Amino acid sequence: MKVKELEAIMLEKFPDAPLRRDETAMTGALWSIAVPVSGIRDVAKAFGSAGFFLESITALDFEDTFELVYHFNCYEPKSRLVVRMLCGHDQVPPSICDIFRGAGWLEREVHDFFGISFSGNTDMRPLLLPEDADYHPLRKTFGKVSAYHKREEIYG
Amino acid sequence: MAEQDSTQEYRRIYTLNLGPQHPSTHGVLRILLDLDGEYIVKADPVIGYGHRGHEKMGENRQYKQFLPNASRLDYLSGMIFNHGFVLAVEKLAGIEVPERAKYIRVIASELNRISSHLLWFGTYIMDLGGFTPFLYAFDDREQILDILDSVSGSRLTYSYCRFGGVTRDVDSKFIEMTRAFLKRMGTRWADYDDLVTKNIIFIHRTRDVGIIDPELARQYGVTGPNLRACGVAFDVRRSEPYEVYDRLDFEVPTGSRGDALDRYNVRFKEMQQSCRIIEQALDQLPEGDFLTKKVPQKLSPPKGEVYAAFESSRGLSAFYLVSDGSPGPYRCHIRVPSFGNLNVLNEVLPRTLVADAISILGSIDVVIPEIDR
Repeated sequence: MKVKELEAIMLEKFPDAPLRRDETAMTGALWSIAVPVSGIRDVAKAFGSAGFFLESITALDFEDTFELVYHFNCYEPKSRLVVRMLCGHDQVPPSICDIFRGAGWLEREVHDFFGISFSGNTDMRPLLLPEDADYHPLRKTFGKVSAYHKREEIYG
Repeated sequence: MAEQDSTQEYRRIYTLNLGPQHPSTHGVLRILLDLDGEYIVKADPVIGYGHRGHEKMGENRQYKQFLPNASRLDYLSGMIFNHGFVLAVEKLAGIEVPERAKYIRVIASELNRISSHLLWFGTYIMDLGGFTPFLYAFDDREQILDILDSVSGSRLTYSYCRFGGVTRDVDSKFIEMTRAFLKRMGTRWADYDDLVTKNIIFIHRTRDVGIIDPELARQYGVTGPNLRACGVAFDVRRSEPYEVYDRLDFEVPTGSRGDALDRYNVRFKEMQQSCRIIEQALDQLPEGDFLTKKVPQKLSPPKGEVYAAFESSRGLSAFYLVSDGSPGPYRCHIRVPSFGNLNVLNEVLPRTLVADAISILGSIDVVIPEIDR
C-alpha cells in the first residue's frame, strides 16, 4: 500500500503538519496534509518516487491568503491524496515542474488565473489567457464576485 | 534526425504554424512546429483560443445554474460531464439517488461514451485519408443521438441529470431503441475491423507512431485510453466505482506498446465494453423513482469541499467544489483529461514526421474546449 508508506514519510518529515484523514473518501481523497510552502518540493519528490502522478494543481483565493491545492493519485484503487499549502498573496512558491514534467502547464494555468508565480518555472507565459493579459480572473477582486471569505470561515 | 546538408549554413530550422484553424485539430488548437525538413524539432501547443471562463461562471452561479455549463466543457461527452457535476454536488450536499436513476445515468453515460468514440473513430480515419469509415461511424452515432434526444431533448449538450436523479424517466420506447442499437452494433464491429483495423495502410500510419511509455504518461498525468494503451489498466470506473459500476461486469482493455495503433485498439474495444455495460444495466434496471423529491429548490450544501472524479471518454475528469454554505460554490475547479493528454505532445512530437504529427494528434483524441474551459 503506497498510501500507508507515504503517510509514514509525510509524518516523519512534517511532524507538526495537520493531517486530515477521510477513510471513506467522501471528499474524494483518503487524507490531506497541510505543508509549509518551503516543503512542497520534498513532498513532490516523495510522491514522485512512490509512483504517483499529479492530477491537478489549483488555488483558492481567501481574504487573508491563497491556498494551493495539489491532488496526487496513483494507479492503485482509491489512493487520491491531497497536499495543501497556504501561500501569502505576495509569496512565490517553488515550482515542481522538474519533478513532474506536466506540472509546468498546471502552474502556468494557476499563474493565469491567480497571478501566483512559481520560482524555478522559466515559462510563465499566459497559457489560457491572451498573450498580453495582465489580469487574473479567478481572484476574488476581479469582476463579479458573490463572496470573499477568510480561510477560517470555510475550513474553520 | 534527418541526414541533411552537412554544412551548417545550409541547415535551416523553419517554423510551421499548424492551426488554429486546421481541419485535423478538431477545435481551435495551434501548434508551433519547428521543422528540420520533414522532421519536427520542437512542438509548442498554443491553447486558450476557446477560453470562456467556466470556472469563474461557476463561482457566480447557483449549483443548478451551472448544469448547462458542465456539458459544454467536453461537448463530445456532455452527458458524462453533466453526470459528473451532478455527482459532485450530490456528494457535497449528501443527496441520496434512487437506484433506478443510477442505472439510467450509467446507460446514458455509456451511450455517450460510444458516440464520442465513434466520432473520434470517424474523424481520425478521415485525418489519415479514409473518408468512408466516417460515414459508417456517423450513421451509427446518429442512432445514439436519436436515443438520447428522445429522453433528454438535446443531441449534444445534455442537461439530463438533476441533483437526486434525472429529469425524465426512460420508457419502453427508449429501452427498445437502445436494445435495437446494441443488436445493430453487434454486427458492425466486424465491418469496422475489415474496413479499418486490418487495413495495411492504416496500420503503417499508426504502428510505432507517437509512443507514450508509462513513465512519460505518469510524468504528464495522461489518463484514459491514452494511458491504458501503454499497459496501465487504470480506469476510474474500476478504481473508484461510482453509481453502479461495481455491480457491472466489464473489462478494462489495455495495450502494450503505447503507440497510435494501441490507442486505436483500446478505444475500439472500449466501445464494445460499453455495449456490455449497457446491456447488463438494461437487464438489471429496477422499478422505482427516477428523481428524489427531497432536494430543496434552493440548494445550499454545508461548508466543505468535494473532489468528485469520474471517467469521461478521454480519461480521469473531476469537479473540485468548495462550498461556503451559500447557494453557489466558492470555488469550482474542473480537472480535464485532455489537459495532460495534450501537454505530453511537447515530448512526443519532436523527432517525428509532420505527417505523423497529424496521426498522433488524432490518436490522442483531445477536445480543445475542455482544456480551454
